[in-house]
Amino acid sequence: MQRHTIAISLIVLCALLPLVLQLIGERQVYWLFVVSEFFVFAIVAISLDLLMGRSGQISLGHSGFVALGAYAAAILNEQFGADLAIGMLAGGCLAGIASLILGFPATRLRGHYLGIVTLGFGIAVDQIALKWDSLTGGDQGVHLHKAVLLGLDVGTPVRMYYVALVALLVTVLLVWNLTGTRVGRAFAAIKDSEVAAAAMGVPIARTKVLAFICSAFLAGAAGAIYAFLAGFVAPEDFGIDSSLLFFAMVVIGGMGSIPGAIGGAIVVDAVKNAAATVSGLSLTILGGMIVLVVLFFPGGLKAWLRPRRAATGLVHEPDDAAIPQDA
Amino acid sequence: MLEARQLTVRFGGLTAVNALDLDIPDTGVFALVGPNGAGKTTLINALSRVCSVAEGSIHLNGSDLLDLRPHEAVRAGIARSFQRAELFPTLSVTENLLVGLHGEMTTGLEGALRTRSTRAQERAARARCESLMRELDLWELRDCAPADLPYGHQKLLDVARALISRPKLLLLDEPFAGLTDAETPRLLACIAAAGQQCAVLMIEHHFKLLEGVAQRMTVMNFGRKIAEGTPAEMRADPEVIRCYLGTGRQKAAEPAPC
Amino acid sequence: MTQYLLQISLAGLAQGSLFALTALGLVVIYNASSVVNFAHGAMGMAATYVAYVLITELHAPFALAFVGALLAAFVLGVVVQKALLGRLANAPLLTQIVVTLGLYMFLQGVLGMIFGYNPRPMANAITMAPVILGGLVLRPQDVVQLALLLILSAALAALFGATKLGLGMRAITENAYAARLMGIPVGNVLGTAWGIGVLLAAVAAILAAPTTSVTPNMMDTIVVYGFVAAILGGFGSMVGALVGGLVLGVVVNFIDAFLAPELAMSIVFGILLLVLYVRPDGLFGRMKVQKV
Repeated sequence: MQRHTIAISLIVLCALLPLVLQLIGERQVYWLFVVSEFFVFAIVAISLDLLMGRSGQISLGHSGFVALGAYAAAILNEQFGADLAIGMLAGGCLAGIASLILGFPATRLRGHYLGIVTLGFGIAVDQIALKWDSLTGGDQGVHLHKAVLLGLDVGTPVRMYYVALVALLVTVLLVWNLTGTRVGRAFAAIKDSEVAAAAMGVPIARTKVLAFICSAFLAGAAGAIYAFLAGFVAPEDFGIDSSLLFFAMVVIGGMGSIPGAIGGAIVVDAVKNAAATVSGLSLTILGGMIVLVVLFFPGGLKAWLRPRRAATGLVHEPDDAAIPQDA
Repeated sequence: MLEARQLTVRFGGLTAVNALDLDIPDTGVFALVGPNGAGKTTLINALSRVCSVAEGSIHLNGSDLLDLRPHEAVRAGIARSFQRAELFPTLSVTENLLVGLHGEMTTGLEGALRTRSTRAQERAARARCESLMRELDLWELRDCAPADLPYGHQKLLDVARALISRPKLLLLDEPFAGLTDAETPRLLACIAAAGQQCAVLMIEHHFKLLEGVAQRMTVMNFGRKIAEGTPAEMRADPEVIRCYLGTGRQKAAEPAPC
Repeated sequence: MTQYLLQISLAGLAQGSLFALTALGLVVIYNASSVVNFAHGAMGMAATYVAYVLITELHAPFALAFVGALLAAFVLGVVVQKALLGRLANAPLLTQIVVTLGLYMFLQGVLGMIFGYNPRPMANAITMAPVILGGLVLRPQDVVQLALLLILSAALAALFGATKLGLGMRAITENAYAARLMGIPVGNVLGTAWGIGVLLAAVAAILAAPTTSVTPNMMDTIVVYGFVAAILGGFGSMVGALVGGLVLGVVVNFIDAFLAPELAMSIVFGILLLVLYVRPDGLFGRMKVQKV
């Protein structure tokens, strides 16, 4: 029960934030953007956690999926005036299909090969976006027109804020449900022991690919929201630095945990924004944090947020009861 | 029910299982015995389709098992436990059991939407897990992480995970290894009860244990079957004594070639 | 036309020698400790900054700076192994990947903070003019790179084949536990392996410096190609890494010349995906079977 109250109060807080920010005055727009961007990053972090933390498949190029979603939404909007709903669907689907290119070889690759291949994927998407300038505008990027969602004008910072917030909440709900059902358990099973999972009827390759598709779809949809949020998409928004940030979010937050992913996103985004003025500082801090987390806090933030459930009393040796009284 | 004929498994130059014939009826507890490296685990791996078979055939109630991929074995009615438990550490005890039902359940991505059919399936599955857990006295531990359980309970959970799918053939790989004397009776009772419902083929070293629960025993060495019969017969079989049981301290000085 | 193709191939071999050096370093580390060092490029880059400082601040001659940097690289490798990877010897694969990635970010960030992101020039140590041989232009720099690669490869082969250290490393690769029981000082051997690996990365980085200039991201492209070369070689075979690196260098140069330089990495990864789909353990790799 306690966790639910925390969650609800956080949601209420986030819902009321724009009203609070109105009191600040002219910096309001900046802060609304920062928090909205954080919501989008949190969705990506959750999607990456689903892949890395839950199903145990590493992805060092996740911003590639985000980029695909962002460009899909941006180009459809610029050329055909497509709205955010179509953008999210198209972006998610494009990213999902792209993940098949990665997913199938991924089923046969050991961990570090997969890491390198996904790294390459992220780089490739970036390079192609830059090079294919007839479609993507090259380094000039794509400018979006009005931000519309199912007929509703969401072009103001406040409205996009709520769109991003609702999207995050929906993502949390979907992923939370998934992890509590058959597919989510299958993801965890293939991470923990492929052999045992197969013995229980989990088709390993297909499940790994499914994890990729789900993760990519969410990241792509998030990318679409990002495109509408920023109003502009260019290659420099993505790339390996971006992928590493998402990676850091999942590691610092703790793998296999939705609150962990969100917490990690908070930490990383905060560091990134706070240290933005000194080049190299945020990388140093985040890199250092990752190393420290791995060495000293292997569970990440989630180990703080939710201590491990203890066994109910049966941790002692069963033989204890057999010790004779007169020994 | 299960018929294996001339089963041969090779790993490169090593023939781990050599032209083995095996028959297992519908119910009962059957033991697979032999020294280390005899090929017992490999045989179990072959039967559960984890490793490929070079020659021979396996039929379960007439249907050919050789085409099956590893994850299709449980649908065919074959479930197994592992020498090293292979539990899922990130899942709770209940969730470990629920994965055992993966083959029967059908919920897919719609689980994210928690549709009515999803919820109904979950309820039914959890009810089945609950009844098995209560039967095996695991109910109190249902939300624990497997790593927090004593080793005996972990092995029990491993077996339970195989049992939950109501298999026709239950393959157990050294289920008693590492258990204390206090933990053994519970698992023994579980296996004996399982043997009433289905066929249990279990790898085990401890002869005394087997005499209490196994109807028949197959003794392997170097990939071949060297003897088969009731535990009492095997205890008296000269081949088995020579290759496996030993003849006591005096004769131990001259190791007999097998 | 053939002249042109040969010229491209030559340039490719020269560039490939950098990939090969990087890949060799990766493979040495992987063979000893089963870890893919995602911080490989960054560590080589750090050593290059050491050389840079020695040259510009202390006005050391290039040879001295080179040696100094290599020493620093070796020490860095040993320290990283002892302080980080050594503690995580039993951790899952993902954890080890994560820690080297964290290290990569940390090193890039720190050096970025200290030296900034503006490219610092590194003068070419070899000031000889290019030689024309049989119609082909031979840059002394390229010859030196290839020569260094061959010399270092030979040295590595001798090390692994004929010394106690090499034997120890091979033993550890097979079975670290047994190696320890046999009296092999596993910690020291692993540290040395990392030292050698990072040293090779530093050689590649310093050789690349005149072209890429010294920046925190200078090795990013080269190390990615180094990974690809190591994978193509099977990530265990040093010969594979060597050949893979050289071949990759030629391939990349051809892509640069005839297709689009900006897409070189994407194309290479496409090729890598195809190769891995057909041979998941690389072209020369050997499968490791998991016992259940």
